[in-house]
Amino acid sequence: MAEEQVRYYILFANYEQGLALHDLLDRENIPNRIAPAPRAIQGELSCGMSLLIQPEALETVKDCIRRHNAPHHAIVPLAGQIKPRRDRYC
Amino acid sequence: MNYFTGIDIGSTASKVVVLSETEIEDRFVLPTGWSSRETSSDIARRLAEGGHPVGEGMTVVSTGYGRAAVDYADKTVTEITCHGRGGWYLLGRDCTIIDIGGQDTKVITVEHGMPTSFLMNDKCSAGTGKFLEIMANRLGVDLSELFTLAESGTPLAISSMCTVFAESEVISHIGAGERREDIAAGVVDSVVCKVAGLCARHTMTGDVLLTGGLCESTYLVKQLSQKLKRPVLTDPMGRYAGALGAALIARGKAR
Amino acid sequence: MSDYVQMWKDLGMDLENHDLLCQVLPTAVGDVFLSQENRPKAMDFWDLVISEVHGIRPAELIEAQKQGRKVFGTFCVYVPDEVVVAADGIVTGLCGGSQFWVPDGEAVLPKSTCPLVKASVGARLGRTCPFFRIADLYVGETTCDGKKKAYEILGEDVPMYIMDVPQMKREKDILKWKDEIADFAEKVEEFTGNPITPEKLGEAIHIINEKRKALARIYECRKSTCLPISGRDALLVMQIAFFDDPVRCAQMCNRLADELEQRIRDGVSVVPAGTKRILVTGTPMAVPNWKLHNIIETSGAAVVCEEMCTGTRYFENLVDETKTTLDEQFMALSQRYMKTNCACFTPNTGRIDDILRLVKEYQVDGVIDCNLKFCCLYDTEKYAVSRALKEASVPVLSLETDYADTDAEQLRTRIGAFVELLNG
Repeated sequence: MAEEQVRYYILFANYEQGLALHDLLDRENIPNRIAPAPRAIQGELSCGMSLLIQPEALETVKDCIRRHNAPHHAIVPLAGQIKPRRDRYC
Repeated sequence: MNYFTGIDIGSTASKVVVLSETEIEDRFVLPTGWSSRETSSDIARRLAEGGHPVGEGMTVVSTGYGRAAVDYADKTVTEITCHGRGGWYLLGRDCTIIDIGGQDTKVITVEHGMPTSFLMNDKCSAGTGKFLEIMANRLGVDLSELFTLAESGTPLAISSMCTVFAESEVISHIGAGERREDIAAGVVDSVVCKVAGLCARHTMTGDVLLTGGLCESTYLVKQLSQKLKRPVLTDPMGRYAGALGAALIARGKAR
Repeated sequence: MSDYVQMWKDLGMDLENHDLLCQVLPTAVGDVFLSQENRPKAMDFWDLVISEVHGIRPAELIEAQKQGRKVFGTFCVYVPDEVVVAADGIVTGLCGGSQFWVPDGEAVLPKSTCPLVKASVGARLGRTCPFFRIADLYVGETTCDGKKKAYEILGEDVPMYIMDVPQMKREKDILKWKDEIADFAEKVEEFTGNPITPEKLGEAIHIINEKRKALARIYECRKSTCLPISGRDALLVMQIAFFDDPVRCAQMCNRLADELEQRIRDGVSVVPAGTKRILVTGTPMAVPNWKLHNIIETSGAAVVCEEMCTGTRYFENLVDETKTTLDEQFMALSQRYMKTNCACFTPNTGRIDDILRLVKEYQVDGVIDCNLKFCCLYDTEKYAVSRALKEASVPVLSLETDYADTDAEQLRTRIGAFVELLNG
């Protein structure tokens, strides 16, 4: 099911790093969205933002990061994170 | 041969209707139990036993609060649309349908076979089948016995709008040594008042048809007619109205 | 830079409890926003804001306070931001939109108080929201009994100023509101230490008008048959508008509107053609209250307009910018604000006129009139609203809900049936 699909979250030490990579990816037309870092993988980082990318884009993203030596903390796969009809609000 | 099945998984009972292009082929009721998913597997088994297995040539539409649990359904539709469609089919003309369900009571206006407006009870169990069930339990009888008792009683006031508080009222009546018949009549009266209150907030057009399992209680139907000051019609298939509506939608979808 | 934990500690927040809120937010944002396909690119600004909702903006406010600026927390679209901005103050919305804050509110308020009021009081007293900690002065108003009494309780914990909103809209009420605005200006001058001059107020009026125009541009795009933005995204934009710097808000909204207008030209819609268009009307939806919009938009319909405080009431009508004396400017402000149709007024037929007008402008197929539980004012107006809509042959569904998740399935049944009915 699409809901169980694995997606990748790029984590950062701070949002300035996150925004810098977001701009880089956008400039190269690599699909990515700013997302709150899921708690399960956020660890001790206090930065609330992450970049959400689809599995298809993973390699191009990694390549872009390598080429620009873009600072980031980690890229973490996570499944079952997005369920539009879960009805758990906050 | 193509078949069209409507499955209405209610909070108390699950109803199933199987249609062919022209006939009602099969129908049955099961208690919903604690797991809608298990009920839906049981229904699949019963369908196969009845010669209408799920699969090729079968279109399934599920409805009711457990509709999402029917994983073999081709489509899910809300019980409001299904009761509207099914009720209209039974009566064959424009009407207002009242369905007293296990946990919801709804009033639905149907024009040319299609629901055009509806009103549902507040999100609590007062004025629903659940309320009757809880009170019958408290009196140590089942639902049909509750209606029989009520018939020979004079309604005692049960004024609380909340099922939990109304239950305490019933307990006090029992404690005070009131007649069971009078308490039972009070319980039914309380539901009838609540349903009539809902109707008062809705523009009632055409004949009134009561669907759902409670339409089989002649006492409740009589009381409701009195309260609404208009005849309340019923149909032997009334209990199946939701499932029938779902089956009709399945047939429409397949066409 | 972004060590927010230290900042929250310095604000005297209950870190342990606040962390529980931080845990659920990413899940809700994922489900409600990131599940959508084909969102406007420019929503990335709001994605960032909501990802760091208790970080970036609070840090900015604290920085501004260090420069000697004052932060005013408000709860109502009747409180004129212009006056605060004219004295170099900062306005931040303070309405609580989360069930998370409700229990702390219920510790001091009756359970039968609307969740928005309970959450607002709870967010302050529970020390779990940085905005409620940062605001130097709370500005309340008399738009409902629940709030009036809650402000008395809040006032024991934080400096509080109350504006007396009239309950009718006669000429003398407009004059009265003008006087209230003048009094408020005096308070703001005293609190900030900055004089409000006609020039300053004129500039502030312009700034807030520009923000209104930018929001209106986004809403204008939602009128298009080709729907370039979901209701959920538009709601988020609106909710954040209450917290953001007004100049940046206008800039970001204009950037989004540029993209939406381009989308309309390119025929890019977020929903399939023929998707039923819903107008939501009723009580405000403070951030992060996304339940109703999410349920509607995952039931096969699209929200195209909100006739509510977090909607058209926030940006419709501009303040006359041609006035040159404070007296005239206060009057111009009063005239603009008194056009807002809140259910605290009697009569409030203007709201019905608005709804009927918006139904036409936004090509609406059905109206969902929803109030927060225990809001007697909006609950009572449902009767007149649904009667007027029925007379105009517009399908309407009346609902009541609160911030808890528990009624989601019942809402799904009602809303699902309504969408089925619209689809015929």
